Amino acid sequence: MKQKKSDSAYRVEIRGASKSYGSLKALYNFDLTIEPGTFTVLLGPSGSGKSTLIRSIAGIERLDSGAISFGDRVVADNGFHMAPEKRDLAMVFQDYALWPHMTAFENVGYALKRRNLDTTEANRRINEALERVGLSSKGPNYPFQLSGGEQQRVALARAIVGRPSLLLFDEPLSNLDADLRERLRVEIATLTREIGATACYITHDQSEAFALADQIGVLRAGELQQIAAPEEIYRQPANRFVAAFTGISGSFLGTVIESKRHEVIVQLGTQRLECRTPTKLKTGDSVEVLIRPSATSLSHHHSNTLPAIVLDVAYRGRGYEHVVECEFGVISSVFAHESTPRGSKVDIYIDPHNCLAFPSEKKVSETASIAQLSHSK
Amino acid sequence: MALDSETHVRSRVPFLGRIRITPMAVFWTLITFILVIPILLFLSVAFSPRLMSQGHQWFTLASFKPVFSGAYGLALLHSLILGVVAALGAMVIALSMAWLVLRTNTPARILWNTTIFALFLAPSYLIALGWQRLFEQRGVLEIMGFYVEPIRNLLYGPVGICLVLMVKGIPFAYLVIANAMRGLGEEFEQAVRVHGGSRFEAFKVMAALLMPSLFSAMAIVFAEAISDFGVANTLSNVGHFSVATYQLYQGINSIPVNFPVSAATSLTLLALVILAILAQNRALRGRSFRTLSGRTRPATQTKLSFFGKISTSTYIVGLLLITLGIPVFGAISASLLQGLGSLLSHYTINFSNYSRVFHSRFLRNPLIYSTEMSLITATLAVGLAAIASKVLTSARNSRSKRFVDFFLLAAVALPGIVFAIGYIFTYNLKFINDIGLHIYGTSFLLALAYTANALPSTSRSLVGNMGQIQESMMDAARVHGSGAAKAWIDVTMPLIARPLLIAWLLTFSGTLLELPVSELLYPPGSPPVAVGIELSLAGFDYGGGTAIEVLSILWALVVVGVAFFLFNRFAPPGWKRLGNLR
Repeated sequence: MKQKKSDSAYRVEIRGASKSYGSLKALYNFDLTIEPGTFTVLLGPSGSGKSTLIRSIAGIERLDSGAISFGDRVVADNGFHMAPEKRDLAMVFQDYALWPHMTAFENVGYALKRRNLDTTEANRRINEALERVGLSSKGPNYPFQLSGGEQQRVALARAIVGRPSLLLFDEPLSNLDADLRERLRVEIATLTREIGATACYITHDQSEAFALADQIGVLRAGELQQIAAPEEIYRQPANRFVAAFTGISGSFLGTVIESKRHEVIVQLGTQRLECRTPTKLKTGDSVEVLIRPSATSLSHHHSNTLPAIVLDVAYRGRGYEHVVECEFGVISSVFAHESTPRGSKVDIYIDPHNCLAFPSEKKVSETASIAQLSHSK
Repeated sequence: MALDSETHVRSRVPFLGRIRITPMAVFWTLITFILVIPILLFLSVAFSPRLMSQGHQWFTLASFKPVFSGAYGLALLHSLILGVVAALGAMVIALSMAWLVLRTNTPARILWNTTIFALFLAPSYLIALGWQRLFEQRGVLEIMGFYVEPIRNLLYGPVGICLVLMVKGIPFAYLVIANAMRGLGEEFEQAVRVHGGSRFEAFKVMAALLMPSLFSAMAIVFAEAISDFGVANTLSNVGHFSVATYQLYQGINSIPVNFPVSAATSLTLLALVILAILAQNRALRGRSFRTLSGRTRPATQTKLSFFGKISTSTYIVGLLLITLGIPVFGAISASLLQGLGSLLSHYTINFSNYSRVFHSRFLRNPLIYSTEMSLITATLAVGLAAIASKVLTSARNSRSKRFVDFFLLAAVALPGIVFAIGYIFTYNLKFINDIGLHIYGTSFLLALAYTANALPSTSRSLVGNMGQIQESMMDAARVHGSGAAKAWIDVTMPLIARPLLIAWLLTFSGTLLELPVSELLYPPGSPPVAVGIELSLAGFDYGGGTAIEVLSILWALVVVGVAFFLFNRFAPPGWKRLGNLR
């Protein structure tokens, strides 16, 4: 396929975007810039406003206030709203949104109508798009004759066939099983980068976000918490919410007993744990310690360990994941190449670089532990 | 920047210049003029005669006094009793038929679905006329030498009226109960049995689970029965057994017309319908049974014995004969008898009545006129209904959605005769004439009234299908380059093409044979079919009248057949596939 120059891709700029549904604020004074040709993933839980945002970019929703521009072209600005069909973009929907009365070929071809191509060229491009998603033989099939994965591939072909300047993805993989999700994720990443369009992708799945994105924006209650490269989001989350939503194995309350710039030592009951912190903490501060899955291991280190008992063990192919209970609560996703039986006493090593301390309103005395199971998938 | 230029252009355009003629604007204008204004203005006169120059008081309940006394009161009581009996009877028959058709292997069940849809389409006055032609004095059966006076005496009284109302109610009750029974898997019955319950205990549980649909069925049949004008205008009129809708009709034909009393009677009828629905809701309070789930297992069929098959088939065939066979035989035999209705002593069987319909403008024109009106009405009503159902199924609970919902529900409960009187009242008002709107007595007004009358049920029939369309499919069309109208034509219309066609055909057939609105609003010199039939019968041309009747039904069937043929032949394959099984 001919590569599209990335300079024709849109630079998407959102300024002060707000949108409410009755008393519910879906977006509040939202700012975001997506550079041309980049792949941005907006990550957030249900109700964080990510769907509203992507639908507003598409023009399906009208903003209450704020502006959106694609390069020099303003597509929404306080009262002005450009219709979706005039924005020159394409979108892949969560429920595929294939038209059941059209074949796969016709579904893909529909997105080319605005290009006013002659039939030969249009047919060539449709076949090419179907081939790109591995469905060259499925053109005459109706959506009901295709599997879920094939349907989403048709939706993907429909999105790329017109070589749009902006590609939007509204949780396109959430209705698929794990294996198919992984395969389609790779196809989305490859195809999007090949056509060179700016891409904006929303999901609530952090592993999907990390795998796809050039930059990740984390949303909460209609506000952007942090936007940065995936590595930065993981290593230096701006706040507790970003850290928690991008994957933790457990969290405990403790008290800072020693602080040195971004490194602190936290007292957890009788144990001491070395952690990092993105904020300034001082001795005596109450903190919540969030432990990344990658920070934990069953090992023979002698420092920065927590004594625990194995509650459960699950075989994961490349090794074993343990759920352990320590004095302050439960830690999940503790990886080891060997299985340790349930009920065994173990020491859990916590890597200080992936163990993050954030200021907490709660005191250690209020609750001994607020450990929770991992959000990681 | 684009924004600036856009904003400046917008600010220079005067307010009126910015009003755009959108489908929604047309929709709201039409809804206001054909539905809201006629209903509200007419019904308000019941409380406030002075509001529309119909009396001296701004507020009074005096108009309701005659409704509950004298001839009006008696007619209302008759309607109430007939409605209750018809509802009970139709519910029992529909329940038995639903069980026989869905849960047994009785051979005659294959006849039932066709019967149901034929009954659904046949107006009550045509069923009543079929019976009349057979049993009237010097009717078909008497000419054939049968002694039918005792049956005639029953027919021209509460028993006959109730019978026809019940027959007309059966399809409504059946559809409601059968739908509920289809969702009632056998696991409930099995759960009773494995926990020690007897067959009777299991039956009681099943009956309790079906209770919501039984109440719904009764409420619908009751509402249909007390609103019916077809039987009122035929059996009730001939048998001098007054019912509320006929009393209303007589009231509107008296001089001077007492609109406040008519409005009060209409409101009382409307209140009775609403009360029936409320009673149904109250009876079911806290008993909303959710029996349908992804795990529901279809119930097994009861294998009937030979005797069981014979007896149930006899029951079904007997029912089929009473509900459809007799009226059809009555109409066809009467249309083939030359001289029926005259004092001749010799009758011949031939097609002369049909021949007269084709050659006499008096007999032929009503069918042509009704066909034209039905084409216009069906197209207009389906167009508006598509918009209304879109509004009703939108994800947002907007004010416009609640407004459309309320008015369409209220209009469903409003008897056709009340609708027609509302039109007579509103479009004869002095201020309507003063503003230059002289549309009373025109085909234009008749088409509007037909449309308004058909719109509530047509909208409701499309709501289910429209609600199944995922909004993302329209969104997908928009973001991939289509404007709103093109997206609707490309995506929504094909998806609901078959339901749209069915709604159009139902509206067409319903309007072709419609009685109350036609009776009260037809333009002088242009009678529609129902009025044409009535005028022929009033002139004792029973053969000609029934020939128009038979030809009208045949014509409706031809249109339905041709429409389906064209759809199946020429619609794109994707359009036809939707709604079919794989």
